[in-house]
Amino acid sequence: MIETAAALLRLLLGLGAVFFLGYAGLILLVPRPGDFTFGERTALSFGTGAVFLTLWMLVLTWWGIPFTLGRIIGPPLALGAGLLLTPRGRRTVREDLRALKGRPRMELHGWDWVFWGLLGALFLYALPRAALYPVWAWDAVATWGCKASIFYASRGLDLTCIEAHNYYPNLIPLLLTYLYFALGQVNDSLAKVIFPLWGGLVLILLHALAVRLGLSRTRALGLTAFLALNGTVFITHLYIAYADLPLAFFTLGGAGLLSLWLSGAAPPGSLPLAACCLAGMAWCKYEGPPLAATLLLAAALTLAWLRPGRWVRRLGLLAVPLMGLATGYLPWRLFVMQQKLEIGADHIQNLYPHQMVQAVGHLFTALINPFAFGVLWPALALLGAGRSLWRSPRLFLALFVGGNLAAVILAYGLAPTSAAEFPAYVRATLDRLLLHLTPVAALLLALSLKDLDPAPTGEKLPPKPSGPVFGGEV
Amino acid sequence: MTPRKTWRFWLVRLVIGLWGLQVLWLIWHFGPEAGDLARRLVRGEVGGAIRQEEPLYRWAAALKTVIPEQAAYVFLDDYAAGKEIQVRYYLAPRRHILLPPDIPAGFLFYVLHRERAAFLLIRESARPLGPGAQAACASPAFRRVNLPGPGLVFRVDADLLGWGFYD
Repeated sequence: MIETAAALLRLLLGLGAVFFLGYAGLILLVPRPGDFTFGERTALSFGTGAVFLTLWMLVLTWWGIPFTLGRIIGPPLALGAGLLLTPRGRRTVREDLRALKGRPRMELHGWDWVFWGLLGALFLYALPRAALYPVWAWDAVATWGCKASIFYASRGLDLTCIEAHNYYPNLIPLLLTYLYFALGQVNDSLAKVIFPLWGGLVLILLHALAVRLGLSRTRALGLTAFLALNGTVFITHLYIAYADLPLAFFTLGGAGLLSLWLSGAAPPGSLPLAACCLAGMAWCKYEGPPLAATLLLAAALTLAWLRPGRWVRRLGLLAVPLMGLATGYLPWRLFVMQQKLEIGADHIQNLYPHQMVQAVGHLFTALINPFAFGVLWPALALLGAGRSLWRSPRLFLALFVGGNLAAVILAYGLAPTSAAEFPAYVRATLDRLLLHLTPVAALLLALSLKDLDPAPTGEKLPPKPSGPVFGGEV
Repeated sequence: MTPRKTWRFWLVRLVIGLWGLQVLWLIWHFGPEAGDLARRLVRGEVGGAIRQEEPLYRWAAALKTVIPEQAAYVFLDDYAAGKEIQVRYYLAPRRHILLPPDIPAGFLFYVLHRERAAFLLIRESARPLGPGAQAACASPAFRRVNLPGPGLVFRVDADLLGWGFYD
């Protein structure tokens, strides 16, 4: 009993340190962190902290310094504490403490209870399901979990004893490794709580972004519950220890912040935070860098199509998130080259048009299959269309989602599988590829719902920076 | 309200109705798993206790006491069966080399020698042993380790396999 309590305490302290790092990081990245809501900062703190901590672990490996808990967390914590001691840091902490004391009680009405009840029931199931069962799903055992236990045992990024897609980026295995150090042992069931945590952060971020985009709190909560309880894919990923949910989190963060920036509704510092999310995308999964690149491409195309004031300058500002993508991508890529790790070059050999045709069928089936994503994608198809799409910055989200659906079909056209293997290959990958996009699809749905009631009454929206529709703040 | 908006409100209601059905279906779908979770919680059979139910895990746990951490082993199995990745996970950080069950003797012996593998593991299957596994059973370079479980375990003397190609 005491052992379990001690393990839980160590886990909470370990996770708390990641939040703390991100909280301190926000002070560095954002001029006035208080411009972001509590929900946004909670979610983005963990994402930023995880990116920073795991990149630091890569640096330690590069320097040949074996991992210990002190070496992993000590210097970043010292840096974080130093940031809090700066004038901006002190001011932020003071404001946050004041805000916590004067925080009004959350008032719940009719539908709020229903949505909170549904979300509560979901996590009442998913959290113990993650924390009490050992790692068992394919990629968790074959890749992420296996790497984490080896990194822990070897005190570094030892990739010599396995062939587990060694060239894949390592945010997730390194985060698990860090938690094993925090726990003092390989406890793969307890460390798995980060996956319901990532899921919870996706939902918190979606809710916060939906409110910022203009939805009432109740509708935003309904939309959040709608994403969480639609089909089995999101729910299952809360406890199977795959990297897809973290990638979905970073994708939502990047897409949401860029969308706000394009609409002129983003608080100052949104672009550096979006850059952090793009770094997370590139560093957490092999599919991350191309996905992040499509975010930038969609943003650039939106600016070029709508041509708001100073649009050329704004195109130039996209260099900020581009630098984030490079920060998440290049260190690992250079490490792979230095270590001469074999990269899966067999992924692209030829284009197989018949596979593309089959992929179209599989894709549309997956989008409307209630088992996979429920009615979320059909709801988007029914409610998302509209003439205003071509005249507003929501074009960005539509381009990103639509472009990636097309890219999924193209990717299957390039997959070097036999005709017999192809359906199984699609079955094993398609739901995950769509999971990366689904929270962004929900964000697009939020904009469609906003159209139905553009001026909700009696709802307090978060403070928006004043400025034109296409404000140019970084 | 414009007719267009009325239409959209009806669509929203339709979607909410379908979502309600979806939530009920999810409760039905995840019900058995939630029941299993509740039962395990009541009995305290969680974490490591769940693993102990697996014969493959018990076998791997016994192998851990036999195979040193620095050693390499060759595992004969089909990747698609999904058992090899579990054994690799349980035995990490021991170096793991997967080969197919129907591998010819020459190539199996060559890999064992080249990789300095100290153990050969053959997961049991309904199919008869392949030529490589049969040759291993008959060769003096392999000593059977008596470890009950869903597979055969051999200690390999890689030096005895050092005379080159066999086929």
